[in-house]
Amino acid sequence: MKTYDVTVIGGGPAGLAAAISAEKEGARVLLVEREERLGGVLKQCIHDGFGIIRFGEKLSGCEYATRFIHEVLKTSVEISCLTFVSDIKKTASSFCLTLVKRGGLEDIETKSVVLATGCRERTARQVAIHGTRPAGVFTAGTAQYFLNVMGQMPGKKCVILGSGDIGLIMARRLTLEGAEVLGVYEAKSTPSGLMRNLSQCLYDFNIPLHLSQTVTEVHGDARVTGVTVAEVDENMRPVTGTEKYIDCDTLILSVGLIPENELAEKLGVALDMHTKGAVCDQKYMTLTDGVFSCGNALHVNDLADYVSESGEEAGRNAARYTLRERALIPVTAGKGFLYTVPQRVDTNALGEKTVFFFRAAEEREITCVRLLLDGNEIMKKTYRHLRPPEMERLELDLNGYKYDNGSGLEFVMEELPS
Amino acid sequence: MNIEPRRKALFDAFGDAVKLEHKNGCLYLSGEVGSWDEAVRAGLLCAESGSKTHVVNDVAVRGFTPPVTKTPAFTDTAVDGKSPDVLVIGAGVVGCAIARELARWKLDVLLVEKEYDVSLHASSRNDGMVHPGIDLRPGLLKKKLNTCGNRMYTKICAELNVPFERCGQYLCFKEKRKLPALYLSRPYWLFTGSGRTKVYTYKSLQRREPHISPDIKCALEFKSAGIVCPYGLTIAFAENAVQNGVTLSLDTAVLGMEVKDGRITAVKTNRGTVHPKIVINAAGVFAGEIASMAGDRFFSIHPRRGTNAILDKKAKRNINTIYSLMGTQSKETHTKGGGVVSTADGNVLVGPDAVETPFKENFETSAESIFGTFERQRQSAPWLTQRDIITYFTGVRAATYEEDFIVEAGRSTKNIIHAAGIQSPGLTAAPAIAVRISKLAVKMLGKTGRVEKNPGFDPVRPPIVRPAALCKEDRAALIAREPDYGEILCRCEEVSRGEIIAAMHRPVPCATVDGIKRRVRPGMGRCQGGFCSPLIIKLISETLNIPEEKVRKGTQGSEPLLGPKGGPDENV
Repeated sequence: MKTYDVTVIGGGPAGLAAAISAEKEGARVLLVEREERLGGVLKQCIHDGFGIIRFGEKLSGCEYATRFIHEVLKTSVEISCLTFVSDIKKTASSFCLTLVKRGGLEDIETKSVVLATGCRERTARQVAIHGTRPAGVFTAGTAQYFLNVMGQMPGKKCVILGSGDIGLIMARRLTLEGAEVLGVYEAKSTPSGLMRNLSQCLYDFNIPLHLSQTVTEVHGDARVTGVTVAEVDENMRPVTGTEKYIDCDTLILSVGLIPENELAEKLGVALDMHTKGAVCDQKYMTLTDGVFSCGNALHVNDLADYVSESGEEAGRNAARYTLRERALIPVTAGKGFLYTVPQRVDTNALGEKTVFFFRAAEEREITCVRLLLDGNEIMKKTYRHLRPPEMERLELDLNGYKYDNGSGLEFVMEELPS
Repeated sequence: MNIEPRRKALFDAFGDAVKLEHKNGCLYLSGEVGSWDEAVRAGLLCAESGSKTHVVNDVAVRGFTPPVTKTPAFTDTAVDGKSPDVLVIGAGVVGCAIARELARWKLDVLLVEKEYDVSLHASSRNDGMVHPGIDLRPGLLKKKLNTCGNRMYTKICAELNVPFERCGQYLCFKEKRKLPALYLSRPYWLFTGSGRTKVYTYKSLQRREPHISPDIKCALEFKSAGIVCPYGLTIAFAENAVQNGVTLSLDTAVLGMEVKDGRITAVKTNRGTVHPKIVINAAGVFAGEIASMAGDRFFSIHPRRGTNAILDKKAKRNINTIYSLMGTQSKETHTKGGGVVSTADGNVLVGPDAVETPFKENFETSAESIFGTFERQRQSAPWLTQRDIITYFTGVRAATYEEDFIVEAGRSTKNIIHAAGIQSPGLTAAPAIAVRISKLAVKMLGKTGRVEKNPGFDPVRPPIVRPAALCKEDRAALIAREPDYGEILCRCEEVSRGEIIAAMHRPVPCATVDGIKRRVRPGMGRCQGGFCSPLIIKLISETLNIPEEKVRKGTQGSEPLLGPKGGPDENV
């Protein structure tokens, strides 16, 4: 049986960064990717906006991924594409993976695992769209694959449900390819996508955005012939009497992303119900020793740059991993937060800096965010704006404080009068 | 038969609007009412459960035009001029089982189906339960055929290589005082054909089903209950029939018949005219239309819709078998109240409900029916959450007003045999219905000539290879032989490229995304085809050598892709 120090599962931006950084630490690394080519979802992201934080320049998703792919190809990382992890088991001191590939079935052993499995899209049925089930209902990512990878038009007259970033980007992309985008409908009262995407993808192309409205029904037998949209009340329930029929041939959904954690569940890794990813410490190690999680599998990120950062960190720590005692203290998020990551801090392994990410639960004006250790403030930062679609990153030095068994960190926020 | 009490009941309900006549051994209803539900109620008022004197309901609904049957949009001559011994109309589970049963004889059998694949209506749109027949009154034909059919399942599924599990079903009660009655009822169930039973108290039940509601105080387990993939079985019947010489013609709708001297002489389809010796009507919700074309209309079908929700495989940890709560049943709507079912493929199914509808082919779902079903089933399964739903579907049952099966030769027309009114438990009964119909057919054909056994009949249908279910050694050996089995295209269900290619080349070929999905499950998982559907489209396009935009999801006109971007010019 082949043995590795680190096995990275997933060859998207998180996995690539993890493999590269683990190898830099001198680890013997295996990178497993189920698709034919590395790059993950970035392969189909031909729009720009990637790499502003990391490289200080605007790249397309493909260009961004290519930089990492070129780098990983220069290393000793063993890359196995078109490879599917069929099973994963924890053994006494390591993990055993069963890999399925065209070359056969292979069991390998690895000291640590980095889960960089990304996320999947929520489907029509998961947002309770009813009616018939004709061709022409696609999630935005699938439509993007059709258009950008296969070069095929998924629709000519489209309605988009959900103002998530991929939905907005697809609104522009379809328009540029000559399709008619009739409008973007969002059940929430605020848009779900980044500001820059709202202005560059919708406003610049005069595509209307309808807030507090949703698609309730799909019509058509073979192909979509139309959809019914309706206004929703404050509980997001459609309001009877506000239904409107829209003639279209395609419904595109951008209604949320769900971290993929089927392998984590197989290993019994504890998950966070808010992020739907693993619970981890600042080293990106989950509550299961030796299992690391990063990128969109950990929590859905707004920028690929942050995905790479978490991958890099997870890979480095996975390479340095030795079984040792962790002193984990909980990090909780108070009212007003959607979530914070990491959810634990290992006070036995505090580095020079500890990085936190958080999202606000709703839009806020000038807001003061404070971090409390056992009720005492150790950090304070004021934000001009907080919006749920935008992730916030905090870098802190947590050295020099007294921690014990019962210690806990808590994030709190309060809106200040403007 | 004294029909006066029924006339009175009709008069009380509808005044002069509805008329009842008793002739040719049927109860004919005519007139006009204000709603579909009223028209159905008129039929139910006159019908007697299990009676052979059927209600033929021609009551119209004011201002409502019944929908036109959907038929393929093309014509050709694929079956033109054929003169088979037997023409079977309808490739649902009943039609396919009949075709396979007929293949045991040296007969020329043509099976026609108006849809693009077999098993597209009620046969794929149900919960896959092989019923013990708890709710069926002894004396009904469907009770008898259910009992026979249930007993045949183990052997048939082994022959057809279809996964089948006799998992048992728990009928649950909230009242502890029912316990003695449950013990006392056991001989009754055995005697009436529902098979062996076992009584459970909450404690012993909890050991078997740890997540069942603590409100359940006792339960009766029916050991003969089982679970099968209903479309998997239908496809298997069809494949085995074709393998044994039956001709299957898809996209073939029966449009009319010529009847002379009480015999069907010609059957017109969109793919040509056929001259069969005998016709078998297995047309499901359209059985009434077929009977009418044959000049043999003596019953009516009133369609009844039901919606089921499918839950993520994660929900499977909460349930091992099938359970339903006594008391969620409703007499009015004839639904068995549904239940919570752990399916053959490892998902959990919740439902169905029952709603009368004039739309035989409307498979739309609605938020209310899902909500209602969940509310009902949560009484026995408190762990149910709508968050686990990955998809839902609607099926339409082909009910007669007498709520019984019709399995008999024509009454006015001599060379037709009906398998009509086959609603639940039609899946369970299908093997028994097929045996009965084939006997009738052979007898009918025997009048004009000897019908010989087919010595070459092979009851075994080669299995669908499922690498993920093989042991490691076998899977490795398979991949070494055929590397396509080592390339996973659908990660949710772990389906390989090899399985998809194989699915396209089986005895009943399929070349659509949904057809492949029903055979080997890519797209059945939690991402619902988000990741794999482009790959499946590419693979179909490569395998059949057709452009990607010609690959269909299902029926004609359901191409997901509309052609190369930039329009045709760019690719010239």
